[in-house]
Amino acid sequence: MKTCNFVLSGLGGQGILFMTKILAQTALNKGYNILGAETHGMAQRGGSVVSHLKIGDAGSSLIRAGAGDFLISMDEAETYRYLPWVRPGGMVFANASAHKFPDDRVKPYLAEYKITAFAMEAGKTALEMGAPRSTNLAMVAFFAAFGQGPMEADALRQTVASVSPDPVKQVNLKIFDVCHEQGKNRAERSAHGIV
Amino acid sequence: MKQAFLLGNGAMALGLLEAGCQVLTSYPGTPSSEILPETVRFAKAADLNTVIEWSVNEKVAFDNAFAAAISGKRAACCMKMVGLNVAADSFMSAAYIGNIGGLVVISCDDPGPHSSQTEQDSRFMARIAKVPVLDPASPQEARAMIKTAFEISEEFQVPVMVRPAIRICHARQNISYEQLKSNLTPAVFNREPTRWASTPKFRFLQHKALNEKHRIIAEKFNTLVPFNRHTIQPEQTFALGIVVGGVPSAVVSDLCAECNRTDIPLLKLGAPYPFPEGLASQFMDACDRVLVIEETDTVIEYMLRDRHKTWGRLTGHVPMEGELVPEKIEAILNQALVESSLPPLSDTDSTKAGFALAASLDLPVRKPTLCPGCPHRASFYAIRKAVPKAIYPSDIGCYTLGSNLGGVDTVLDMGAGITLASGFWHAFHQDGEAKPIVATMGDSTFFHSGTTGLINAVYNDARFVLVILDNGITAMTGMQPAITQGALVDGRKGNAIALETIVKGCGVDYIQVVDPYDIDHTIAEIKKAHAWALSPEGGIAVIISRHPCVIGLRDQALPEIFEVEITDECDDCGLCHLRFECPAMVRNPEKKKTEINPVLCSGCGVCLHICPKHAVQTVS
Repeated sequence: MKTCNFVLSGLGGQGILFMTKILAQTALNKGYNILGAETHGMAQRGGSVVSHLKIGDAGSSLIRAGAGDFLISMDEAETYRYLPWVRPGGMVFANASAHKFPDDRVKPYLAEYKITAFAMEAGKTALEMGAPRSTNLAMVAFFAAFGQGPMEADALRQTVASVSPDPVKQVNLKIFDVCHEQGKNRAERSAHGIV
Repeated sequence: MKQAFLLGNGAMALGLLEAGCQVLTSYPGTPSSEILPETVRFAKAADLNTVIEWSVNEKVAFDNAFAAAISGKRAACCMKMVGLNVAADSFMSAAYIGNIGGLVVISCDDPGPHSSQTEQDSRFMARIAKVPVLDPASPQEARAMIKTAFEISEEFQVPVMVRPAIRICHARQNISYEQLKSNLTPAVFNREPTRWASTPKFRFLQHKALNEKHRIIAEKFNTLVPFNRHTIQPEQTFALGIVVGGVPSAVVSDLCAECNRTDIPLLKLGAPYPFPEGLASQFMDACDRVLVIEETDTVIEYMLRDRHKTWGRLTGHVPMEGELVPEKIEAILNQALVESSLPPLSDTDSTKAGFALAASLDLPVRKPTLCPGCPHRASFYAIRKAVPKAIYPSDIGCYTLGSNLGGVDTVLDMGAGITLASGFWHAFHQDGEAKPIVATMGDSTFFHSGTTGLINAVYNDARFVLVILDNGITAMTGMQPAITQGALVDGRKGNAIALETIVKGCGVDYIQVVDPYDIDHTIAEIKKAHAWALSPEGGIAVIISRHPCVIGLRDQALPEIFEVEITDECDDCGLCHLRFECPAMVRNPEKKKTEINPVLCSGCGVCLHICPKHAVQTVS
């Protein structure tokens, strides 16, 4: 069986590993095997962080460049850095301004390899809702709205509810719902051919 | 069977406790550091009496485990691969002497390297020591191999190494496991000087016995399924076969399955040494050529011996350095297939174009840096201010990043901050020059291997300032408790040992303790220490720069939070973000001045004292 491959990127301190945990836990709950890899350098804070997650039966943890189904990134520059990991026909979700993303220099590559890319200002939304540290959940919710991969939005939402500590549970779920809604609008426009 | 979602290091912790390991010792080091705390967690949950300790260094850890094993208990010892260098003397000797209870050494390799000074292959260390070695392909297999390692170790009375690479240690996988236990074998020590304290005459006999054990273990490894196996049926022949070990064996299997290539035979050697000649010969005989893909060096490639048939690092088919990431393995396989007139696995045009694109974008280089508020930053700043034209030998820990502040000139290995300082002193002193030298070393590194170097430096009358950076924790490897605090790995109280006592005991008379957050005082004390060290009646001067780690001991580190801002006095000199290198101080190119990033700022307030224009002020 081919695995479903997630590449998650961002900066140290942005909660990449927590985001991995939400996706992994949801997949586990559905009965899938999972295998993932975390890579971070010597820095405790601020460096480039990437996490690989394979859902399904895999023997090796790293996703090969060109074999990622989805790239979800917490930072625009870290999106471009890990673009080579996305397979032709794969999808990219970035925490960036939808008006400015993707960079013009990247568009021909995306078009040639039929990679679709979507952006949402998840960081800004999470900050406005009083929980800037929950930007990672916002990105999961945005991704979930596109109905891709083996985990449904409801199941992901349920994991967010079960892993969030009590004081932030309500605001996390609210952020999830708002960003899921934004994602759905974006996905619908995309389905109608609006880029 | 139970299930858990764990790091590979957690999977190995389960393997240790499933095997009934009674004693586990370690010194932290990436990528091995989580094995010990994960074992503590599972042992506590299962109410086991397993003895688990953070030892002072890897040699000490090994010896403690060895003593338990020759008392009949199952014992293990884990470390990163360069840690095994520290334990090498004991490791090699122990192979000759052997053990009673199983003794397993887990030596974690770091191909890349991601967080190490070398890319050495622990399997070579096993080969030198004549210790059997197992090389797992996945976390689940690492867990299973630990049980096998204990069994072999007990059957043949020889230590056994398990060598996981970083992609095992830091992978996460859902793991099924069985009942956890600590064996109830009581400690028994049978006096037998010809074995436990053997002289060279008996060492010769032990060496001979070890070689005989190897002959039998190699036979066993011929049929050690599923760790050692090949996919060739009798009478089949192939143009190209692939020999794999460790992490690459999982990558190659996944890749062939994904590309539906059942025509490529594999020989998996998860137990490569002692070398299973019989199994390898069957495979070699059926293939015109074989390509060896192993990490990190050429252990299997050397042992295959038929150089006319074998492709690998020695023939330039596999890179000699760096991690074998899957896209690299894909390229290696494609090339070998094409050279063998076979169709390649895959088309990699999009990947090549993707890397070329990413390289063309001038993406920000994110070099590692000390955390905002890190007391080491203040220490290095003070050292540079106090003795600006010195040689700065340093050491291994977070503070290696003091190189960004110009405060680190050398990093060799654990303990070399002090030994290089004395070496530099004598090299220059021979020419009549009193070279200014300020060495740095963290508290944990000092306990690990600082004292012998310091005693040597005092004894031989070297002159330098040693700044011991005491942040009360072993930070870089994940906040393990410090000896100065006395807390043990499982939360129990041990005995705290003060740095001052040890330093004095090494023969140092000049000891001053400073708080680096008090930056002016720290500069003054380092200046004084430097002057004393070079004075006729001087010697080695030690400054203990003591302030808790801002991440691991946050509450103690920041008793008072300073909310700071940059005034219009800022003349854009850049000292704060270039020389002081605080990540929370960022240049605004439009306003041509520094600004504070409030999300990153820790509120340490050290910057209040470093701006030459006094443009950093507390928010009123």
